[in-house]
Amino acid sequence: MTAQAAIALRGVSKRYGRNTALDGLDLEVAEGEFFCLLGPSGAGKTTTLKTIAGLEQPQAGTVELGGADMAGVEPYDRGVAMCFESYALYPHRTAYDNLASPLRSPRHRLPADQARERIGEIAELLGIGALLDRPVGRLSNGQRQRVALGRVLVRPARAFLLDEPLSHLDAKLRQAMRAELRAIGAVRRTTTLYVTHDSVEALALGDRIGVIRDGRMVQTGTREELWHRPYDTFVARSFGRPRINLLPGTVTPEGHFRSPDGAYELPLAVPAAPGTAVQLGVRPRDIGIGGPGRTGGGPPAPERTGGGPGPERTGGGAPGLELTGAVHVTELLGRATEVTVRIGGQQLSLVAPRAEAAGLGPDHPVRLSLRPESLLLFEADRPARPGRRIST
Amino acid sequence: MKRKLLSAAADLALIAYFVFALFPVVWMVILSLKPTNELFSTYFSFTPTLDSYRTVLGAGDDQGVPFVRFFVNSLVVSLGAVALSLVIGLPAAYAAARWRFCGSENLMFTLLSFRFAPELTVIIPLFVLYQKLGLFDTYVGVVWVLQLVTLPLIVWIMRSYFSDLSPELEQAALLDGYTRKQAFFRVALPLVKPGIAAVSLLAFIFAWNNFVFPLILTSSNAQTVTVGALSFLGGDRPKYNLTAAAALVSVVPPLLLALTIQRYLVRGLSFGAVKS
Repeated sequence: MTAQAAIALRGVSKRYGRNTALDGLDLEVAEGEFFCLLGPSGAGKTTTLKTIAGLEQPQAGTVELGGADMAGVEPYDRGVAMCFESYALYPHRTAYDNLASPLRSPRHRLPADQARERIGEIAELLGIGALLDRPVGRLSNGQRQRVALGRVLVRPARAFLLDEPLSHLDAKLRQAMRAELRAIGAVRRTTTLYVTHDSVEALALGDRIGVIRDGRMVQTGTREELWHRPYDTFVARSFGRPRINLLPGTVTPEGHFRSPDGAYELPLAVPAAPGTAVQLGVRPRDIGIGGPGRTGGGPPAPERTGGGPGPERTGGGAPGLELTGAVHVTELLGRATEVTVRIGGQQLSLVAPRAEAAGLGPDHPVRLSLRPESLLLFEADRPARPGRRIST
Repeated sequence: MKRKLLSAAADLALIAYFVFALFPVVWMVILSLKPTNELFSTYFSFTPTLDSYRTVLGAGDDQGVPFVRFFVNSLVVSLGAVALSLVIGLPAAYAAARWRFCGSENLMFTLLSFRFAPELTVIIPLFVLYQKLGLFDTYVGVVWVLQLVTLPLIVWIMRSYFSDLSPELEQAALLDGYTRKQAFFRVALPLVKPGIAAVSLLAFIFAWNNFVFPLILTSSNAQTVTVGALSFLGGDRPKYNLTAAAALVSVVPPLLLALTIQRYLVRGLSFGAVKS
């Protein structure tokens, strides 16, 4: 990381009464980067944005913008623009007046004709040109969201802080806006911190992603890093639908993974102390399926209906591992099928191309193929602490 | 069928209550229209006259009670009290809604206690103080003492209006480049306009109706209608018709005010703009 991050939080803590919202949060966003902050509700995402914007004062830690400590700097002097999850549009004004609000403020004032031109451009860009005269109370959710986004984009800013800007939209509009958002020039050029609870959104948008939990940053990295080398089971579970399979088991003296009922054993690529309780992580899309007659037919064709960059599927490499089980249930996901397989007392879900899963019914015996390099090994989860990944 | 009967019964009950509640007003109207010599007749036939109103408004021959002055006094002190309370109370209510500061709840409770403490408990010391300070029988004195009535009302009601307002609206204004003061005046204040209208009306009515403070703390210069209307009852024989006319005239300003700001009394301007 360069010496001067556009946004840097160091050890930031924020409590509301007895509730801890941020607990020593560290975050660095590079200049011009599009950074996604991902976490479940209550993880402290919104508080993070408000702390950066100066709307909340942290009890500990520092917030820096462009290398300058922001302690005691008023929100209007920080030069960041924020899109609130609630939109926070001024309900007594029209869409135009809402967009014009920053341009009429002492801080970002533009002459009226220039402001009109600028608002026209932004409205055009967001497709709300026809709605400008309407009071915001008479706009739909999607339109309000665009106005709120427009109010952020209309003025120069050193950084954009976007708080779940797409969360209230319906699925179709959300997908369309997601594609548009990154194409907007201002967003491309400006440091953007984007908060979401949707891992698909984070993977699609973020140059880098930070996963936050209970007010702490669990892991930051590119989508590949988070996908292939998750810090713990929490991060692993955050990405990919269906979720990663986490199979509890133990390590045998030979360094193999063994399921609790001893139904199967798998060799491990990473060394782990014999006898330790571990979890084996396997992504549903990394499991190949074959009928009882066929051997598990190599790596399955890359078939992705959503979510996740997926691993590199290099052919060859280490020999495949095999497991046998019986189909528990199948569910059609469109072009692919999610198959849940029973192996001993455990269940494993996988996604197979529809053709390969055709004809599979409950209690069908199946043979599964796994590639050793796609297996992740985690410590067992403990209360309030997800198991960390064990690596070499 | 049963439902129809029920609703008819409900209507009847409402009408009965209506008659019951409005009868004193009707009775006052009748009284105010009676000539002085027929005042105590118990039957309904009399020659209606507007003489009482003429007298009350200073056009008749029977002078002695400067009712018009009392009326103007009432207007001045009530409007003055509400205006002063708004100037002090709106920022106070906003602060109380947005920030928890040391002793804020105690302060709010103290303010509220002005409303439920009987006025009579403080009136004697106030009388002495007013005499000493030269505030006795002055506009300033009455406006000041009426703050006990109007300020708690305005602060408490406006606080709840401000609390209902999402703080994110002002936060958005801060990020748009406005100062905190501008955020208050440009965003928060316009959004609580219906509340300001409603609470101003309420405070005006309370101030207008107040009796004890002007009774003790004024004599003739700053006396208000509530006290002034009683002047007609003094003298050799009580002039009930004049008192009734005076009372009816003094109902007019609150009534007019209520009608003018009626549309603001409907709440809901800010609904739908912020998802919660």
